[in-house]
Amino acid sequence: MIEDVAHPTMAPKPEAEQRPMPARGGGARSPWGERSVAAVGALLAIFLGLPVVALVGRAVLDGSLAVTLTSRVVLDALVLSLATTAVSLALTVSFGLPLAFVLARRSFPGKGWLEAVIDLPIVLPPSVAGLALLIVLGRRGILGGPLEVLGIAIPFTTIAVILAQTFVSAPFFIRSARTGIASVSRDLEDAARVDGASERQLFRRITVPLASAALAAGLVMTWARSLGEFGATIMFAGNVEGRTQTLPLVVYGEFQEGNLDSSIAAAAILVLAAFGVLVAVRVFRWSRILDARGLD
Amino acid sequence: MHRIRSCALLVIFLVGLAACSAAATPTSSAPSSAPPSVAPGDAAGSAAAPASLTIYAAASLKGALDKAKAAWETAHPGSKLTLATDSSAALETQIEQGAPADVFLSADTTNPKKLVDHGLATGAAISFAGNKLTVIVPAANPAGIKTPADLAKKDVKVIAAGDAVPITKYATQLVADLAGDSGYPSDFAAAYTANIASREDDVRAVVAKIELGEGDAAIVYVTDAMASTKVVPIDVPATANVPATYAGIVVKASPNASSAQAFLDWFAGSEGQAILAGFGFLPPP
Repeated sequence: MIEDVAHPTMAPKPEAEQRPMPARGGGARSPWGERSVAAVGALLAIFLGLPVVALVGRAVLDGSLAVTLTSRVVLDALVLSLATTAVSLALTVSFGLPLAFVLARRSFPGKGWLEAVIDLPIVLPPSVAGLALLIVLGRRGILGGPLEVLGIAIPFTTIAVILAQTFVSAPFFIRSARTGIASVSRDLEDAARVDGASERQLFRRITVPLASAALAAGLVMTWARSLGEFGATIMFAGNVEGRTQTLPLVVYGEFQEGNLDSSIAAAAILVLAAFGVLVAVRVFRWSRILDARGLD
Repeated sequence: MHRIRSCALLVIFLVGLAACSAAATPTSSAPSSAPPSVAPGDAAGSAAAPASLTIYAAASLKGALDKAKAAWETAHPGSKLTLATDSSAALETQIEQGAPADVFLSADTTNPKKLVDHGLATGAAISFAGNKLTVIVPAANPAGIKTPADLAKKDVKVIAAGDAVPITKYATQLVADLAGDSGYPSDFAAAYTANIASREDDVRAVVAKIELGEGDAAIVYVTDAMASTKVVPIDVPATANVPATYAGIVVKASPNASSAQAFLDWFAGSEGQAILAGFGFLPPP
C-alpha cells in the first residue's frame, strides 16, 4: 500500500515499475493467492495436528494403549494422577472461590499487585515454580526448616505433588471465577437483597449459579493444568513410582529408560484427557451463551 | 447450610491430605496396617517389626534391585520396598533437600561420602559392588564402530550423561586412559567430547538412547550392556578399563534406621551379592 502511494512520485524506472505489480497481483483477492494462503495455513495445521494424531494412532494400532491395563507403572501413575489432581482441585476451589469473590467485588490498595502475583504462575516456567517451592519448603527452606523440626517433611512426597499442581493451576480457576462473579448483575443481587436474602444465601443462590459456567470452565482448565503438570513436580516432588510419579512423569521416565510402550500409553491417556477438556470447555461456553440469552 | 457444607469440604481435604501424607510416609502407617498374623523371627534375625523402606538407588542398579525387592519382601512379610532410581548425584541432592529416603545406594563413593560429611548419614558408607565399563552400539551399528577408538571418528553421535553423573566421571577417566594407549590419536579425548550429541540424566537414559537408535555409541557399565538385548558391547582394553565402586549409606533422617541398616547389610552380604553377581556386578574392590 505504501508502495502504491510512493510509486507515482518516484522516478519511473522500469524495474520499479515492475516490482509492485506481482505484489499487487499476489494479494488474497485472486483465487491463486487464496489457495496459497490456505496452503501455508494448512502446513501449520498439519504440523500441529499430525504429532498428536500419530501418537494416539500408534498407541491404538500397536497396542501400547492396551499396555495400560497390564503395566503397573502406568496404572499406579493413573491412580496417583487422579487422586492428586482431585485434592489439588478441591484445595483450589475452597481457597480460590473466596479469593476470586474478593477480587471481583472489592477494591483495595495493592489489588493490582495482588492480581499480578496470582497470575504469575501462569507465565512462570514450571521448573522455576518447582525450585521456588523447594526454596520455601525444602529441608533448608524458609518454612521447610521449622517444619522439619516438627517432624513434617513435604518435599519429594505426594503432598509435594499436590502443592506443585495447586501452585501452577490455581490461577486459572481464580481468573475465570473472578471474571464470572464480576459479570453477575449487581441489580439482580440487590433485588434479592430487597427480598430479604442474606449475603450467604445471595452467594449460594444467585452469584454462584449465575457464574457457574465460568466456574466450571475454570475448574476444567485448572484440572487440565494439574494433570499435565511436569516441571514443578519433578523438581519439588521427584519421580518415585506410586508416590510422586504422575502420568506426565511416566511419559518422561519410561522414555528415559527405553520403555517406549509405557511412555506412549501414558501419553495417549493424557491426550484423550486433554481432548475431553477441550470438549467440556466448549460445552460450558455454549451453556454460558444460552444462560445469557435466557436472562435477556 | 453453607457453613455445614464448607466444614464438610474442609474435612474432606484434611482427610485427603492425611491419606496422602500416610501414603507419603509409609513407615508411619505400615506397622498398624500390617497383618497381625505375621510370624517374626525368620531369616534376618532383626527383632524389629518389618518396616517399609524407601531405597534411593543409582539407575544402573534398577534390574538387580527389582530382584532384591522381591527377595527382601518375601523374607520380610509386611515390609514393602519403594525403589527410586536416578543418577546418584540427583538423588544425593534430593536427600539433602529432605527427600524421604531410608537407604541410598550410589554408583560411586563420592556421593555417599558427601552425605556422611554433611551429617546426613548414619554410620559410614558400605561398599557393596563393583562394575566395569564398556562401549555399546545399537544392534544395527549404523556408525560401524569396531573399537573404542572409533568413538572419536568424525560424525559419530556419542551419547553421554551429565557432568555430575557417576558414569561420566568413570567414562572421562576411561577416555583419558585410552588416549594414552598406542593406536589412539593424540586428540582422542577432545574428539570424543566433540562427538557428544546429548547429555542424559542418568546411565539408563544413555542406554535407552542407544536402544532407540538415537545415538551411535556410548560408554556405559558392563552390567547395562548385559541387561539390554538391543545393544551390542564393544570391549575396551582391560588395561585401560576403570573400576567403579558402589557404596551405600543409611539416611540419618530415616525413621526406620534399624530396618534400613538391616537391608543395607543384607544387600552387601552374601544374598545381595548373589543377586548382584547374577546381573554382572563384581564384588566390591
